[in-house]
Amino acid sequence: MVFEQEQEEVAPGAVHGHRLSTVVPSSVTGEVDYALADADLAFKLHYLRGVYYYPPGDVARGLATKVLKDPMFPWLDDYFPVAGRVRRAEQDAEAAADGVPRRPYIKCNDCGVRIVEAKCDRDMDEWLRDDAPDRLRQLCYDKVLGPELFFSPLLYVQITNFKCGGLALGFSWAHLIGDVPSAVTCFNKWAQILSGKKPEDTVLTPLNKPLQGQSPAAAAAAPRSVKQVGPIEDHWLVPAGRDMACYSFHVSETVLKKLQQQQGRHAAAAGTFELVSALVWQTVAKIRGGDVDTVTMVRTGAAARSGKSLANEMTVGYVASAGSSPAKTDVAELAALLTKNVVDETAAVAAFQGDVLVYGGANLTLVDMEQVDVYALEIKGLRPVHVEYGMDGVGEEGAVLVQPDADGRGRLVTAVLPRDEIDSLRAALGSALQVA
Amino acid sequence: MSMATSAQLRRLKPLYQLVVNNILAIVAVPLAASVLLKAASLGPEEILARALALRPAHMFLCAFLPAAATVLYLMLRPRAVYLVDYACFRTNPNCRVPFATFLEHSRVWPGFDERSVRFMTRLLERSGLGEETCLPYAQHYIPPSRDLESSRAEAELVIFSAIDDLLAKTGVSPQDIDILVVNCSLFAPTPSFTDMIMHRYKLRKDVRNVHLAGMGCSAGLISVELARNLLQVAPRGARALVVSTETITPNYYMGKERAMLLPNCLFRMGGAAALLSTDGAGARFRLARVVRTLRGASDSAYHCVYQEEDDRGNVGINLSKDLMNIAGDALKANITAMGPLVLPASEQLLFALSFIARKVLNNRIKPYIPDFRTAFEHFCIHAGGRAVIDELQRSLTLSDEQVEASRMTLHRFGNTSSSSLWYELAYIEAKGRMRRGDRVWMIGFGSGFKCNSAAWECIRPAANADGPWANCIHRYPVHIPDVLKH
Repeated sequence: MVFEQEQEEVAPGAVHGHRLSTVVPSSVTGEVDYALADADLAFKLHYLRGVYYYPPGDVARGLATKVLKDPMFPWLDDYFPVAGRVRRAEQDAEAAADGVPRRPYIKCNDCGVRIVEAKCDRDMDEWLRDDAPDRLRQLCYDKVLGPELFFSPLLYVQITNFKCGGLALGFSWAHLIGDVPSAVTCFNKWAQILSGKKPEDTVLTPLNKPLQGQSPAAAAAAPRSVKQVGPIEDHWLVPAGRDMACYSFHVSETVLKKLQQQQGRHAAAAGTFELVSALVWQTVAKIRGGDVDTVTMVRTGAAARSGKSLANEMTVGYVASAGSSPAKTDVAELAALLTKNVVDETAAVAAFQGDVLVYGGANLTLVDMEQVDVYALEIKGLRPVHVEYGMDGVGEEGAVLVQPDADGRGRLVTAVLPRDEIDSLRAALGSALQVA
Repeated sequence: MSMATSAQLRRLKPLYQLVVNNILAIVAVPLAASVLLKAASLGPEEILARALALRPAHMFLCAFLPAAATVLYLMLRPRAVYLVDYACFRTNPNCRVPFATFLEHSRVWPGFDERSVRFMTRLLERSGLGEETCLPYAQHYIPPSRDLESSRAEAELVIFSAIDDLLAKTGVSPQDIDILVVNCSLFAPTPSFTDMIMHRYKLRKDVRNVHLAGMGCSAGLISVELARNLLQVAPRGARALVVSTETITPNYYMGKERAMLLPNCLFRMGGAAALLSTDGAGARFRLARVVRTLRGASDSAYHCVYQEEDDRGNVGINLSKDLMNIAGDALKANITAMGPLVLPASEQLLFALSFIARKVLNNRIKPYIPDFRTAFEHFCIHAGGRAVIDELQRSLTLSDEQVEASRMTLHRFGNTSSSSLWYELAYIEAKGRMRRGDRVWMIGFGSGFKCNSAAWECIRPAANADGPWANCIHRYPVHIPDVLKH
């Protein structure tokens, strides 16, 4: 009698038949350790989940798993820290006696990236039209780091084949290894190798010194943008009190134009990110009955990037609504606040010694992904028809990710909120998103 | 023996070897000289008179008998067999298995318990394997697939690449192959691998093909001997293709018995193809001897490497704790048979004297271990595991450089079973150490318990370092620590 695989109870239409395998760098990395900067460690409790949908057709049919896996070997040569595993540094007796937790780092031991192959018995169009909340989680293997850090991959790639021949690629990326732009650039490089193009060289400095020379002295209390959480041992997920779900919706160009026109009297013309986020801020405030006075903003400031291929360099700050409740303020005014009144706390967050939740910890978190070129992940010339990015490990306050949509003119927004708020959000947004 | 005497003896040893190894010349020269002197002293007329006095019948016999004997000897002598060339499967970095990945896979899959994982970790740390060894595609899955289709895919990949390489190197067309011998111990589907090769390369209808299954890790040399024997009765100039491989996909052990987990940790993907012929034109090596020793008659040797089911029904190969002792005994038996065939007269004489002394005088006199370095320049010891190589280095008193090929092959390719000897030969050639006239000793061990040896003589070394070591030879030799911590 051999070990029997438990037959999965497959709900009709669910993603099933998961098969796990591993891809490693094609050459030996050697004894290299990749240090994690303070900024990296601030984001360690979060996991990026991105899904790319590719339409059925000849190209998709030709994408056997092996075809997708083969370019990953040289890709991981360039991105060898992603194939490593988290370890904790050795410490001397003094530090151990003080109860200082051992600092995590990445051991670049070529352990590899996990690939998951799965099937879905539905057509991709049907799946997308269904608009089910949390469909993201079915297409991205939703594991986190821990409880055994030694054996937890930093990246999972799930390849889901739909009945119609369409393909979904789901990436589960541990935020501590790099921020959203780093992750997307990393994935795009893989697609370039797959298509036979030679990508740009990666810039990796295993010593990974932080962006600025000095960090300010560690504060006693957590910065206002983030929430401190209890000392995290080896399971790097803070279970939110409530069940969180990701829900994506489209903000069309027309709606954007409408929002821009409504700005009228405000001198500072807010960008699309501020407008869309303001709309969502207002809606969430209405749903919650108004105690969403502060929001955390996480933005990709292109100017502030050092050019390193893997880094956490997004700016973190907060915006407090001046006096009036956001539920009652109009979108244009909120957008103006988001543009002008940001208090930057990036350095303070990095310097803070304890474990923090950045996304959804202290406040509703607005994430700017406008500058991130997600639709560039072309596989053999095949462009994704739809891309959505969500986040795991988000706190109860929730997070909102704003990214460009397929043609670049509208926006795709993914809201990560407690599951019971999703329906209210859908309803409340319904009218706002209607074209007048 | 005092220090001074043994130092003197050592200085005398080369002189002794010179004398004994060339004894025929040393005896013949004075004899010939004395005959010539005698003839000279007699004078030509005297010799002619004596010759004419001989009876015709005696003269005829004097000429005919030696001539007949020589002709008979030349006809009945076995044909020389040559190795035209060989090629090893070049591993693909897409199949690479670093330590960390191997351990993580064992940990993540719930079928292995804590104890088994710890055991495998300790094994790997001390195994002497490096970070570039390869496992087949199906074994990169958690849990690994062991189905027939994946197994065939692995076999096809390994065998066809090796044969393609070999045919390109030798310029031989598949239609010129007369004999085909394939050995793969643990996977023998129907139709056999020989038929698979026939199908792929469109070999002739009258090819003599044989597949050897179940013969263990020493089967590479068994195939070579079989090919040699078939070449004796084949038409002159016939060509034999010998393919040695092991298919790992169906043999991953999924249970908890520690003795059966060892093969999982050591066996890796690999294969080799060699072309043998009785036509020496363009050949690179000559096969001098093959000596096979089988110890299956003894219980402990028979059960030493035993394929069986554990108590949960998982099939695996059980390695007994006596493996090293049995291997040592088998080796002694083999070198006792091999010694007289390859050792120079000087060593044989010393060994015989020491043997007689032990029997007649005193059993406590240390037995003389013949110095095989007088018989061979290069040694290829089956890279079965670090312990096997250590044991053989000790028994044969070999230097580190002489076992370097085996250790480095174990590091770079793991235990590739019957083809490991070919990878080791490729290492020696890639390092540029092979010279014309060098003699190579290949020693294989395997289940049974069998110990097989082959002696080769180099005719033409490889022109370049092209082969499985091409892109990594510059990094070797590496120092392999006793325990490699991760």
